[in-house]
This record gives sequence, structure tokens and C-alpha cells, in this order.
Amino acid sequence: MANSTPNSGDVFDLKKLRQLVVLMNEHDLSEVDLRQGTIRIRLRKGGDLAGAPVEVRQAGTTAQLPAAGSQRPGTTPPPSEEHLVVIKSPMVGTFYASPSPDAAPFAKVGDRVGRETTVCIIEAMKVFNEIPAETAGQIVAVLVETGAPVEFGQALFKVDPRQ
Amino acid sequence: MFKRILVANRGEIALRIIRACRELGVETVAIFSEADRGAQYLELADEAYCVGPPKASDSYLKIDRVISAAEIGNVQAIHPGYGFLSENAHFNEICRSCNIDFIGPGFEAMRRLGDKNEARKLARAAGVPCVPGSEGLITDEREAIATARTIGFPVLIKAAAGGGGRGMRVASNDLALKSAIQQAQAEAQAAFGNASIYLEKYVEQPRHVEVQIIADHHGNVVHLWERDCTMQRRHQKVIEESPAPHLAPHVRDALCNAAVSLVKTAAYTNAGTVEFIVDPSGNFYFIEVNARIQVEHPVTEMVTGIDLIKTQLLVASGEPLPFRQDDIRTTGAALECRINAEDPQHGFQPCPGRIERLMVPGGPGVRFDSHAHTGYVVSPYYDSMIGKLLVHRPTRTEAIQAMKRALGELRIDGIKTTVSRHLEILRHAAFAAGTVDTKFIERTWPG
Repeated sequence: MANSTPNSGDVFDLKKLRQLVVLMNEHDLSEVDLRQGTIRIRLRKGGDLAGAPVEVRQAGTTAQLPAAGSQRPGTTPPPSEEHLVVIKSPMVGTFYASPSPDAAPFAKVGDRVGRETTVCIIEAMKVFNEIPAETAGQIVAVLVETGAPVEFGQALFKVDPRQ
Repeated sequence: MFKRILVANRGEIALRIIRACRELGVETVAIFSEADRGAQYLELADEAYCVGPPKASDSYLKIDRVISAAEIGNVQAIHPGYGFLSENAHFNEICRSCNIDFIGPGFEAMRRLGDKNEARKLARAAGVPCVPGSEGLITDEREAIATARTIGFPVLIKAAAGGGGRGMRVASNDLALKSAIQQAQAEAQAAFGNASIYLEKYVEQPRHVEVQIIADHHGNVVHLWERDCTMQRRHQKVIEESPAPHLAPHVRDALCNAAVSLVKTAAYTNAGTVEFIVDPSGNFYFIEVNARIQVEHPVTEMVTGIDLIKTQLLVASGEPLPFRQDDIRTTGAALECRINAEDPQHGFQPCPGRIERLMVPGGPGVRFDSHAHTGYVVSPYYDSMIGKLLVHRPTRTEAIQAMKRALGELRIDGIKTTVSRHLEILRHAAFAAGTVDTKFIERTWPG
């Protein structure tokens, strides 16, 4: 793709870089690393560094351009899921879907919840904490099994706020 | 021995503990904040749990989350490392009440020694010399002069409510004492709303010498000799070494025995360090006890050949110490340089950023304890130490040569580090001669 002969004028070819970014998005690529001669172009979407910049390197020098096109911190969800809200665990503990072993789960797929609706219990240090949804909508996915350990920030449910 | 433990820390000390566990066949559960997610050392743990957002107070210091992680991780014990919760007696107590062993001293001993006043009382009871001082607060001039004469000039006037060196004055005679007290009281009133002061002997040109001890639950207490940590900047240690250079053998023995005596009196168990200041005449005075494993523990490991972290785990699991005092010998000399992500050209301000390239030194007698790697991002949320570079050679002169070589090989591209300052210190004649004190670095390189 980067097929022009490199010379000092071509290193910052924004048009080509934009084309690369568009192609990456179309094919849902997270990283592209291209080399030709002394030129190397590496584009990385999201990932472990917040807003990783576009990197263009020529023979030992490094130039950094501001993120061209769509650079989003964190993994990019597939287009159909972008509007969903993820309920994340506010603590470390054990996840329970129901108030007790024989009872029905607090929140299953299809249920409508309000901000204050208890969606699960997370047990930590023998204390059973009721976790509110903090978002209104319809449960579209339950991501953890009863009895499983959960960490801080772990995704528990996906909610569609439009329903 | 434990089957599985939780490492309640991060970075190089977490990696150190994980390494000791891997050698012992102990499984590890690591914890991390969102800023440490993806750090390579976490891959060496058997399990790892996120305990919160980047700020330490919202993650590593969250006792409930650390304990929860220990519960879901099914561990028998927690190693707290250094810093964070390592000297938090409350956390220690909670662990034990949750039936989780705390790899360190009992919480009562920790509490007692954490209180400076209590620690001094214990020291006196153990026959360990403390910095002479007024027993309580000084309320009038006559009392001040009498006390100062008993202690011996020069004296240091300190604010009872103080800290950070404020409200402190040095006086070398009666006349200076009067005005110094007035000034100190005024400053203390302004800074802390409390003019109460007390007196302490001012130890001039002190060296900082500390003793590594370890005690098991069967009454055995052993010292692993001393470390000299005189090279400090603003009370932060920069270079540590063992043995302490030019310390008279009888002073060395007395210091180490005093440390053991204090530890026995305090009924302290597991690893700890007893800190002293030593004046040019070889008089030493107790300062405080660090009731935890310390940053500079590898210095002792290198000269004694003993793995301190493994020994901590053995002791905590109820085993007796696998050695006696007579077995502890030091060979050669070891040095440690703390490599910080700080800019020596700009007041050592922290320099977080991405390490574009890391090249680690090697060869005989070189050890680099670090969690850093190429691509590692040093975040601004935690202390700036990214690694400890150590050398061990048959003599101190060779050790200094080896450290210069190793520092020259160490490449940390992308961020500023204190490597250049370490080289300057090692090249300084006073360091080679051992004629330094705790203020040497600040005097020689002000700013």
C-alpha cells in the first residue's frame, strides 16, 4: 500500500495515512505495520496505551503525528454494540445472580431495569452487597456465572438503554 | 509451606515475591490497578485480579478489595511487600481475623514499634542507646538550658506537633539556645498551631547504618549484619551498601547485637530492619524499626547468600529459621543503586513515560531487580523507582568499578533517569573514601 518511493517529502503523506486508517476500520484491524526501505509505518488502534499515536519512522528518526482518523482508547466494539452500556463490577468478590440459590435471578436477558434495580449480589468478606444497575434499559447479556469471582471493573451485564 | 499466597503490591517487589514463590512451588495471586493492567510481571503470577482505578488510595490501599482478592483467590497468606499496606497494623489484624496469614510481624509488635515513642521505650528497655533528648516537652528557658547541658551541645530543637523539618533549630550554646527556642516556637505556632517543643542531641555528620534481622515463631532471632544507607537525598535513600565502609569491628558487633536485643524485647517476628545513626566517633543511636522487608534487602542477600523473601515465607508458615547466627557470614562487598524515573537536571522531578528501549546489564556479580521492560509505561501514580541495580564483588573498590560498568551498560531510552547522578556519586572521592554523611548529596549537588 505504501508503494511510492520514499523521499523526505513523502514521509508525512496524510492522504495515504487516512486511506490506511479507513481500510483498518473497514476490516476491523487493530494493528498495521508496514515497511519499505528505510520507511516504516505502524498504526495501532486502541490497545494498552491510551490513544497510541501514529508512528512514522525513517532511518532511525521517529516522527509522531497526532492520531489521524478514528483512534479510540480501549477496544473498539463492533458497530452494532456501540450503544450498549456495560455494567461493571465496583468491587472484588464473588458474583451471585440470585438472592438465594433457589430464587430466580435478579436480572436475566430480556428484563427491564431501572437505575436503582438490583442486578446482582457481589459477596466480599462475608458481606453480601446488592449492586444497582445505575443505568436504565433492557438486559441483553449476562456475562458472569453465579459463583464466579469478579474483579474491579469486570463487565457483568450489557444493557440496551434504548429499550 | 503455603500452597498459595497473594502479593499485595506492585512493580519490582511484587515480581521479587513472585520469583521466590515460584522457586518454592508456592502459587501466587497478584493484584493490579487499571494503570498496571497488562504489566508483563503479572503474567508470572498464577492469577491476577484488578482491584481498582490507578490511584493507590483507590486500589492497592483498599483493604476490603485486597482481602476480597485474597478470598476469591483462595490464598493462605498475604505478602504486603514494602510501602502500601506493609506497615498497616490494622490491615495486618484484619488479615488474621479473616484467617489469612500476614507475612510479616504480628500486628501487636507492628503497632508497638510503629509508634516512635513506644519504640524508644522498648529500645531503652533493651539497653539500646537512643538519641539523648528531653523526656517530655520543654516549657521554660531554665529547663531548656539544664536539659541541653545534660544532653550535651549541640542540641536540636524540634516541634512536638511538627514534621518536614519545620520548627527545627540547632543551638550550640546557652546563648544561641534562648533565641533558637523562641524562633522554633514561633515557627511551630505558625506552621502547626502548636508551639510545644522538645530537645534532642544534634548528631553531626551522621551516617545511617541499619541492621537486617529475621526472627521465627520459635524464639530464634538472627541478624544478617548491616547496610550503610548514608547516601540519601532529602531522606530518600539513593545508594546502599554492605558492609558499612570503615566501621570499626566492635561498633559493627555492638550495633548488630543491639538490634537483636531490641527485636527480642519487642517479641518481633519475621523480617525487619533496625535503623541507627552513627557519629564520626563511632557512637550509635537507635532511630526506628522498619517492620517490613525493605527496598534494599537484596544488598544483604548478595553479601550473605541468603534469600530473604524465601526465608520470610518459611518463617510465616511456621518453620524454624534454617540457619543460626554463627552461619551468617558476609563475603565481599555489595552496592545498590536505586534507578528512578526522575530528571537530575531539573530537581529530580518525576518523569513518567514510555521506555522505548531497555538494555539490562549483566556479567559477574550483577543483579537488576526490575519490573520494567521495553515498551513499559512508567505511570505517574506510584513512586518513581523503576529498578534496583546491584553488584557484588570481592572488595568495595571492585564493587564500585563493577557498578560504574553496569551503570554504563544500562540503557533506559525514552525517559530521564537518575543513572547519571549515580555515576557522579560513584566517581566522587568522598564516596570512595567513605567520608560522607547523610547530607553529603544535598550539599554537593544542591537543587
